Parts: sequence; C-alpha cells; structure tokens
Amino acid sequence: MKKVFIFLLSIFSLSIARTKLVALPEREISYIRFDAPNTAFVEEERTLTLQKGINQVDFSWKGVNIDQDSITLTFITNPDKLKLINLSYPPEGNSLVWEIYSPEGGEEKIRISYLLSNIDCIYTYKIVVDKNEENINFSSYLIIRNFSGEDFEKGIFTPEFGKTFETSTKNEETKQILIYQKDGIKFEKIFVFDASKMIWDPERVKENVGIPVYFEIKNLKESGLGEFPLLTGKTRMFQIDKSDSFIFLGEDNLKYTPIGDSFRLYFGDSRDIIVKQKKMKETRINVRKNNLGNIVLYDTDEVIRIEIENFRDRPAKIEILENIPDEWDMEESTHKYEKIDSNNIKFVIDLKPKSKEIVEFHYHRRNLRKKEIVNFSSPIKGEIIETLPFKGE
Amino acid sequence: MKKLFIFFILLIFNLFAKIDLVTLPSREKVQLTIYNSADLTLVRDERILTLKKGENSLQFSWANTLIDPTSLELIPKQDITSINISQLIFPPRVNELGIWKIDSKISKKIPFEISYFTSGISWEAFYIGTLSSDEKSMELKVYVKVINNSGEDYENASVRLVVGKINLLEMIKDLARRFPPYGTPGIITPAPMVYEEKAEMVRAAKILLAEAKGKEIIKEGVSEYFLYTIEGKENLPNKWIKRLLSFSQKDIPVEYFYKYEEERYGKSVRRFIKFANDQIHKLGKEPLPDGLIKIFKYINKEGNLSYIGSDRTKYIPIGEKVELDLGESKELKIDIKLMDTKTKNYMFNKDGNISGWEEEKIYKIKITNYKNLPVKVEIKRNFPHQYWKIEVDKNIQWEKYDLVSVKFTLNLSSLETREFTYKINLFEGDRRY
Repeated sequence: MKKVFIFLLSIFSLSIARTKLVALPEREISYIRFDAPNTAFVEEERTLTLQKGINQVDFSWKGVNIDQDSITLTFITNPDKLKLINLSYPPEGNSLVWEIYSPEGGEEKIRISYLLSNIDCIYTYKIVVDKNEENINFSSYLIIRNFSGEDFEKGIFTPEFGKTFETSTKNEETKQILIYQKDGIKFEKIFVFDASKMIWDPERVKENVGIPVYFEIKNLKESGLGEFPLLTGKTRMFQIDKSDSFIFLGEDNLKYTPIGDSFRLYFGDSRDIIVKQKKMKETRINVRKNNLGNIVLYDTDEVIRIEIENFRDRPAKIEILENIPDEWDMEESTHKYEKIDSNNIKFVIDLKPKSKEIVEFHYHRRNLRKKEIVNFSSPIKGEIIETLPFKGE
Repeated sequence: MKKLFIFFILLIFNLFAKIDLVTLPSREKVQLTIYNSADLTLVRDERILTLKKGENSLQFSWANTLIDPTSLELIPKQDITSINISQLIFPPRVNELGIWKIDSKISKKIPFEISYFTSGISWEAFYIGTLSSDEKSMELKVYVKVINNSGEDYENASVRLVVGKINLLEMIKDLARRFPPYGTPGIITPAPMVYEEKAEMVRAAKILLAEAKGKEIIKEGVSEYFLYTIEGKENLPNKWIKRLLSFSQKDIPVEYFYKYEEERYGKSVRRFIKFANDQIHKLGKEPLPDGLIKIFKYINKEGNLSYIGSDRTKYIPIGEKVELDLGESKELKIDIKLMDTKTKNYMFNKDGNISGWEEEKIYKIKITNYKNLPVKVEIKRNFPHQYWKIEVDKNIQWEKYDLVSVKFTLNLSSLETREFTYKINLFEGDRRY
C-alpha cells in the first residue's frame, strides 16, 4: 500500500502560474533505522528530473504518521549546485513543498529523511542447552512490526545493535528474521534461595516449594558471545534430552546486557533441592535502661540455621541470600559469605550430588531502640509472631 | 471429530508463474510433550516437503486452534547446510497464517519438523495406596492421566509428560488469541492471566477412562525436570482422558502415626502416613510427581477394603520423606488441660511499676487410644515467644523443635490411656534478660 507521495512540479518563470511537469518519482531504496522505541528513522532515495530554474517538489502522505518537523532533504548528486530555496507547509496538512533551484536541467538523486511512527523491531532469543548441559546454542531473532501504513519494497534495515540487512516489509506485516546464531556458548546453572522472599519451612505449606533456577551467561568472547550488546527480549529455553528430542525449560526476559556484562535467565524451579531455614536463637542482650527503668537500647543475639539438601545426582551451585536489618556484627558463620550491601549477605554453596549441607550463622544486631517484631519462621502469612508487649515498657 | 486443521502449502516461485506447486504433505510423526505446571504442550510434527532449488515459501495455517504463533519453528532434519530458513512472515490482515521463506540449494524431498506450543492438553498424576491390616505396609499404585481438550484428535502420537515448574511470562492460550502475533508497536497488550480455567477444562472433559495395560513408562531427568515417555504410540481423541499405570509397588514399609497441634489443626487429632521415596521403602527409582493420593486399608482376609482418606502430595524427590495427611481421626482422643497458672518473681522499676515477672503454667495431657493397634502420636506445643523454660514428666520423650515450640512423642499400646504433665515458665519483661 502506498501512502507516501511525491510530486515534482517545475516552475519555469516566477511570473507564470505553476505548471505540473513530472510526478511520482519512485522510491529507489530506503534505509530504516530503529534507534528509538516505536519510531523508525527512514532515509529514502529518489531520482528527480529537474528543470533549469526553480522546481517545486510536493511531498505528501496519507494514513501514515510522519513527524513533519523531522523531514529533511539532502541532495546527493550535485549538492554544491542545487539549492533549496524555500520550504513551506500547505494549509491542508500532511504535506510540504520544497522549492529547489537547479542551474541546469537533468536527473538528480535526492535523499528524504523523516521519523515514521508505528514501525519498530523487537528481539526474541532462543537457547538450546545440549544433552550434557555443557554448552548452549544461542539464537537471536529480530521481529519487524510494521503498522506504519507504508510498504517498503527494498529496505536496508539497521537494528539498534547487530548487522544491517536488506528485506522488504508490507504494512501490517510482522516478520521474524533470524539474525544471529551461535553454538558452544558457555553458561552456569545457579539455584537461588532468597530468604526474604521464599518460604522458610516447606513442610508447613501444601504447595510445592521449588528453588528458582537460572542460567548465567556472560556476554564475553570467552563465553562465545561478546560480539554486540544484547537488547531486552523474551527468551525461550530448551534442552536436548537423552532421546535427542528436546523439552521446553521455560522462558524469561533477557535484560539489556552490554559487552562484558552477564545476564541471568530464570527458567523454572527445582524441586530436587530443598532449603529449610529456621531461626534457632533470638534474645536481647546488653539491655540498657533509663532512670525510669524503660529499655532504651539493646542488642540481639540471633542464630539462623539453613539446611540445604541436594536430592539430584548432579552437583549444584546454590546462592543463599539473607537479609539482616539494622546495624549488625557477624559473630561466627559455618560458611564464607559475601556482603552485598549493609543489610544483605550472600552465601555461595557448592553441593555435591545427593548431599546435605548445613549453614549456620550467629550474629548480633546492635543498638536497637524500637520494639521488635520477631519473625520466627517464614515470611508467609499467619506465621509472624509478635513478641508480647510487656507491662514494664 | 477433527476440528483442527493444519495445512501445508508449498509454493515455489519461478520466473514465469508465481505459484508453481502446491503440496499438502501428511503428518509423518507427532510427538507431544505435555506439562503439568502450565497449560502448555510442545508439539513436534514431522512432515516431508518437496523442495525446489531456489526460494520456496511454505504456508502454515492453524485456524481454530490454540497454537502460539510466536513459538512456531521449522527445522530441516537433513541437508541442513543446503537449506536456509531465514524468515517467518505473518502477512498483513490474515489471522492464523504464517509463511516461511526457505532458500534451498537442492531439489529434494526433505523431512522437516514443525514445532510449536499449544494449550488445551494437560496431565496429572494420582495415587492409590492400600494399607495392610496391621498398618505397617502399603501397596502403592501410581497413575498418570492425560486429558485432551485441545479440540484436536491426536492419532499415533508419542506422548511425553514433564514434571516440574517452568517459568512462563505469558499464557500460551493468550498468545494463541493475540493478533497480530507479536502485538503492534507502542501498544502493550497485556495478556489476561487466567489460571482457573485449567481446572474447569478438566471437569468439562468427558471422564472416559481408557486404561491401557502393560505399557511401560520410561523415566528420565532432564535439566531440573522429570520426563515420562509413554512407550509406543497413543491415540488421544479430543475430550478423552487416558489413564496409564506408571508403576506399582507392594510391601512399602510405612509408619502410621497421629499428630496434634492446636495452632495448625485445631483441637482434633490428625492421622498421617510416613514413608520415604528411597530404596529402604522399595521406592527411590524416580521422583514422585504431585497428585491426589487415596488411601484404602484391607480390613479382612477376604480382601475387603475401607477408605481411610486422601491427600494431595507434593512432588517428592528421590530420597525425600513423605508425610500424608489423611485427615481427622476419631481413633485417638487428646485432651489438654491447664491445671494451674500463677505469676511470680515480680520486678519493679524506680517508680514502683512492674517491670518483669514470670508466668508458670502446668498442663496435663491425656491421650486415649481407642484402636486395637498400637499407635504413635506427636504432640506439638507452641509458645508465644522464645523466653521460656520447660519441665516435663520423666519417661516422656520430647524435643525442642524450634525457638518457640516443643514436640512430644508417645507410643501407646492398644486401648491404652496415658497422662502426663509439663510445666512451662514464661519470662516476661525484665525477667527475660
């Protein structure tokens, strides 16, 4: 469907009325760049047959959303000789008129560029993990969604990242193009238990409690990627099974990942790793009172115990995320941890197949003033027990 | 009745005519991989297409189905290096149709696989357990039920079932309905998340049990999931449910016991069965998927049964123990009485107000076993906070379960009544420190 029109009118003499001479020079090639969301930057090339003198070129559009102020005209063949002497918008809207002065008659190549709405491209990805869980086949697809009202017979498309390619696109057409495929990508599988979000004691709930599993992939040459930044897009993950068929593992959004960064994709939950967390101790120590006998300051003495059991016949790397509010000091811990920020720590535990590991850490929270709400078990509803207020306070 | 039609039209372009050839290849093989945590089935459909050298267009349409067009994929099974499938086009204003552009360096018959996601087929596991009359062992039968409500009859399909929870960003059913397939620029069309429909769909299906006998189910772990492959081929007519025996195991040693915890079960006694998915319990070859379990019991030598109860089991990994809650029981009575309460050891602050004290409570627990079998019972008592001290009668087995609870474990012989007391001291205010 053609909705962008161009008319060429030449005016032989300023004193004579306008005379239409040649019309509708065909679009030869279009460069379409997706630099901004929901908008494409279009540069189209056409050949005009200009007369000596002043030529009037009408550019109009119907049913497409062109940003009028973004329209520019560039002379390709004779930029030094040709002169754009006037640009005006007629009262009807959706069109503009250029007046071009040409010192002699002949064919001239021009480039018209503008911003066009309702055409964009999105990305999707496909990951296929091999049978032995060693490598990944990574595919990236570009989906051109053209609802701009305009067809592009011959378009040179430049996505925000990735290689430029040539294709056509019709109005209201959706086109999926495989733009990148690579085998042998390295990855890591990581299980994550986040104590502030997940159920502490799975035995106390009726539903299955799984541990979220992620693929972590580095956008680096060493991992097999690292050629360009990866843009946000839905990623579907598959794995080859023992019978050389494949199963769908799950899907997640790949977040924008520049070269050098890594991304994580959550594909599903493992029910073969069970994490059970309990608070084994919580008492107030170093209690300070004012002259009235009211408690003004105290510390706590707390112990958290986490039992992690791997029922799988393969090793597993699990991250345990713990939140400790307020000021605190770690007294002792059975395992090394990383301090993520002032209130969050992370344990990374490598579990052997069919093994159980107990992580226990003992800490003091310091200089507390408020009345405490003590969370004895999990953050699920109905399990928060508040310490009883007592008469002395 | 067949409601779903998939047409394959192979269009070969040449210089003179636009359409050179139209073929409708029949389905060679079909494999269904059905998920139980989401309304999703991965279909792999194998067809033989005749390619001509040059550019070929393959048109695929799926009117009146629940296929997710964004999941469509075409994979050549041979001559991979000579065939390039570069584009999939969803043409303007045509719903439920896609065209693949296939560049071929050869003219040949090529087997292709078309894979896609569909909704409407589901599966679930269920169990039947039969206890011996002494309640010491159990025979367990594990079944899988495949429910086809997709609108399509699947004949001679390889059926595979996946146990596990996958992460899905959008429901397949909603993606199947979305037009255009990837939405339009700028307009975000959030897919409505409807989860209840799966259950309704199951109910709507005709319960026609086609119990296939003697079919083996091959089990394997793939990634974090477990895959059941049903041996051979299955016919899955629309609206039918197919039941298959996954496995059965006799003489699984079980522990039959009772639990009492007021905060969790109220003032009633609950009965439980405990076993583990391991070799000691003659299991442990595969994880047990979540599903409803019905427990029966032999009541005489003639093999008559009584129904004990049912529970929904969670997924049980290999090596993990299982506790089935079979509901309230009248076979045991537990009576807990507060026999004495007093406060003592008061502390006062400078103003003469109370700043701390101790509460002492004595409880008597009476357990009566009305059964003519010995029983084991676990009684859990929860306290309001972690500042406590307990004294329990001698010869009573107990343990600190966590910060705020204790567990008593008692074994009673047939028709026995047992009583014991415990004293709990709760420290309040300044008595805590």
